[in-house]
Amino acid sequence: MFAARTSLRTSDVIVRAVIVGLALATGYIHSTLGGLLFTLNAVGYVVAAIAMIVPLALAVRFRWVVRVGLMGYAATAIVAWAIMGPYFTTAYIAKAIEVALIVTLAVDFARHDGSPIAVARRELAAFSSLVGRRGTAPVGA
Amino acid sequence: MKRLTLTFGLLALAAVLAACSGASAEAPTPAAPAGSPSGDAVTITAKDIKFNPNAVSVKAGSAFDIVFDNQDGAPHNISISDASGGNVFKGEIVSAQKVTYSVPALAAGTYAFICEVHPEMKGTITAQ
Repeated sequence: MFAARTSLRTSDVIVRAVIVGLALATGYIHSTLGGLLFTLNAVGYVVAAIAMIVPLALAVRFRWVVRVGLMGYAATAIVAWAIMGPYFTTAYIAKAIEVALIVTLAVDFARHDGSPIAVARRELAAFSSLVGRRGTAPVGA
Repeated sequence: MKRLTLTFGLLALAAVLAACSGASAEAPTPAAPAGSPSGDAVTITAKDIKFNPNAVSVKAGSAFDIVFDNQDGAPHNISISDASGGNVFKGEIVSAQKVTYSVPALAAGTYAFICEVHPEMKGTITAQ
């Protein structure tokens, strides 16, 4: 039911700190660009950074979702920029940070969750278990 | 548990929407072309994610300068396109800085200009 490993080693803390730092760095850059789109993008990175470290049981349980979501978010931002631009120094710095963020998240995912297939199997098993429990629960329970 | 799951779902959705949403379109404020046609220079200011003026006139067939005064901390530039959408001039992106763009001569007609960083910043140049 729970992630493959929930206890944190020093190296895990360092990796997590790097992820938070990179997310906040690109969030800050986006916040300086002005306009609604960039501000929302910055807010998204700050929310994701918080979700990466918040010690709530639910966040810990679904940290792999946060990792995958943040990777997808950064990848979407990179692809959107590659298509639309504009291409200037600050944008290149922000995209470099986002690439580093994706790589670091992939490392964190591999260290904590294992392979994506293993995660999918684990979640399916957890879901099946949950559905099975509900199906056998007594009426009115 | 369900409420927390829903909250996280909404946060994730908001994040994806923030990444995918296009820039909000804002129609250019109607304004009369500033000044008479000039072959020399026009001044355009960027402030609060808006161009002022957002409509200028220049002399057709003569190269001219745009004194671009970006008073925002955010980066802006001026990119000019013809009626078919083809780019005819692209100015350097600057932050909190005044620069002078040298624009090549434009044939008579109406041209659109935008900030490439904030495409919702729009204006028109009339060459006559």
